[in-house]
Amino acid sequence: MVDKKIILVSMLLLISFLGCTEQPTETTTTIKAAGEIKIGLVAPLTGGASTTGNDMQEAAELAVEEINAAGGITVGKEKMRVVLIKGDTETNPEQGVKAVTKLITEDEVDILIGGFSSAITYADQKIASENEMPFIITGASSPIVTKRDDIDTSYFFHHCPTTDDYGRDTLIFVDEVVRPAINARFNYSDDRKLRLGMLYQDGKYGEGVLEGAKKAIESEGLMIEIVAEEKFTRSETDYRTALTAIKSAGVDVVYPAAFLNEQTPIVVQGRKDIGLNTIYLSVECNDDPDYYAGVGQLGEYSIQESRFGPYVIPAGSLKAKVERFRSAFKTKWGSQPSMMGASTYEGVYIAAQAIDDADSLVNEDIRDSLNDLKMDEMIEAMQGGTIEFSEDARESKFQLYMQQLIWDDAVGETRPVIVWPDNLKEADFILPEWYESSGD
Amino acid sequence: MDLAVLPEIVFWGLYAGCIYILLAVGLNLIFGVMRVVNFAHGELMVLAIYITFFLHNILDLNPYLAFALSIISMFFVGVGIERVCFRPIMGTGKLNEIFMSLALIYLIQNSIFITCNNVDFCNDLNRIRSPLGYEEISFGFMELGADHVVIICVTISLVVMLYLFMKKTSTGKAMMATSQNREVAMLTGINVERMDMLAFGLGSSFAAAASLFWISEIPFTPYSGSINAIKAFAVIILGGLGSISGAIAGGLIYGVAENISAYLFGGGWKHATSFIILIIVLIIRPTGLFGEKEE
Repeated sequence: MVDKKIILVSMLLLISFLGCTEQPTETTTTIKAAGEIKIGLVAPLTGGASTTGNDMQEAAELAVEEINAAGGITVGKEKMRVVLIKGDTETNPEQGVKAVTKLITEDEVDILIGGFSSAITYADQKIASENEMPFIITGASSPIVTKRDDIDTSYFFHHCPTTDDYGRDTLIFVDEVVRPAINARFNYSDDRKLRLGMLYQDGKYGEGVLEGAKKAIESEGLMIEIVAEEKFTRSETDYRTALTAIKSAGVDVVYPAAFLNEQTPIVVQGRKDIGLNTIYLSVECNDDPDYYAGVGQLGEYSIQESRFGPYVIPAGSLKAKVERFRSAFKTKWGSQPSMMGASTYEGVYIAAQAIDDADSLVNEDIRDSLNDLKMDEMIEAMQGGTIEFSEDARESKFQLYMQQLIWDDAVGETRPVIVWPDNLKEADFILPEWYESSGD
Repeated sequence: MDLAVLPEIVFWGLYAGCIYILLAVGLNLIFGVMRVVNFAHGELMVLAIYITFFLHNILDLNPYLAFALSIISMFFVGVGIERVCFRPIMGTGKLNEIFMSLALIYLIQNSIFITCNNVDFCNDLNRIRSPLGYEEISFGFMELGADHVVIICVTISLVVMLYLFMKKTSTGKAMMATSQNREVAMLTGINVERMDMLAFGLGSSFAAAASLFWISEIPFTPYSGSINAIKAFAVIILGGLGSISGAIAGGLIYGVAENISAYLFGGGWKHATSFIILIIVLIIRPTGLFGEKEE
């Protein structure tokens, strides 16, 4: 009887764990076939970030389909088709290590792409390093992933803006646009420093944004001083105390380094509960339909840094390419691609180009090819118009832009308009009537 | 450091304490009567959030009405869980009960996850928009969001109703008797299995009541219950296992202490503070603040 119950409990646990770790069939071990190039996608297909992971997967599949439809990749004299092998990190570092290990040792992939979340990527890239596996990281924003010195990072290529990039561009915008607007409204002197409150997530991502902001203030000589630094634990739901502390420090602008599930309550609680009527900045990962729906009218006039959003396509040479990508994605999957989907899509093309240029499937050759890579920007604007990796940290450099959220009665939500930089600008920044400054 | 804002921080601490009270009272009811440690209590709360969310989206119900229906339906869910999952293994060893509640965590989380994957209006992150979203009520010294006032009133009302139920009704007295001594209660003719069912049902309804905090646009996922459940365990150990008064005191102490420590020492200390207090109280008074020594 007791044995029966133990079996029953074990079965229940087994069923639940199977549900928890439901694997797509494609992740089963595959034998390397002749004439195939295997690209391993590292993504959170289940767990808390599964929506992002599935979007990465769908974008990667679309890219692979397009590459194969165009004839595949020529290596030597052989035309080879591309196969996508998926590794599910289950949104946690331990499973991320297992997924990468399996992709390299069992599936024998030729190159890795993806890697959402700095913490997960930080853990699983050790395995990739030990196996000297080229890895195009498209979803981890901490600059440490290509700069750490405890492992060999020469096989890692960062195709995703880093937290240093966010901090620099966002605060240059604040210094160039927001600070003068506040000074003009309240008759402050031009040399008054803008008072910035940082509210950051405990961990590599949040601390990275904070460090990026500090570096930017110093290196760019910005007229900004950080007067409050408040930390919160990941997935916190109550920010009222931290926001009260920030308010009492007297800030002109609040810069949360937060994910979508955190940014929304930060803005809502800050405006509604604490009465912190200021300009809220937002990191690019929040440029998502859920954010616009979540903050509602309270998000109006806040600032969203971005490079690929759901509602805005920057004018210019990329517009047609972006529209074609969106249309192909919608036709295949019935939904709109996200920012992570866009960089993963580009990641597959970068991998294909690198292998094509290398004319080899030897890891070292692919790495050298990535080091020398120069390809035209695709669907996200790049600095200089080309995708190439910097010599020092193997980072590609994106052209980021700032959007201001403006209420749209027709949809009952805010919608973004680009307010910076000048070459992409659609409208001027507006300092709202309800804005309250910290004082001179 | 601006000490003038301390009253505001204490208030938000008391407000946060309400969620701990509701969760801890439910957990204490179940433990007090059945002596079952229900690790899946946070998941019951999450299940209630999703019931509210589904009722609101499918039937277009007012979120507060959907919330009230969710409290009622969670009573029956709790009764069902007690009958199907716990009653067959009661008395077969604590390990079985623990594994059963751990299994429930994954079953509930994954059931919600799989259901959500097949429903159009369900996303990775979901939220419920309260109809009172932008309403405020002035108390002279401060203005409060109408949702917050509702949450505080609901917490007080439910705790008072539970107190009256336990003290004034024969069923409540029978539950208390079962909680105090199960064998003696049986000898006096109390149907203790019925009390188990009732305790699990009421405990689940209190978990559902804690879900009211998510009605004010806080995003939730199937995994949102874990940290709050852990805190609720800490609250009942602090207050004393099985003690409703202890759960109330513990919830308020934790809420205030967390917020003050976050203000004074930084947000990184917020969650750690609860457990530091717990360790100190256990060293000084192992039975908790309101717990009684076991014979």
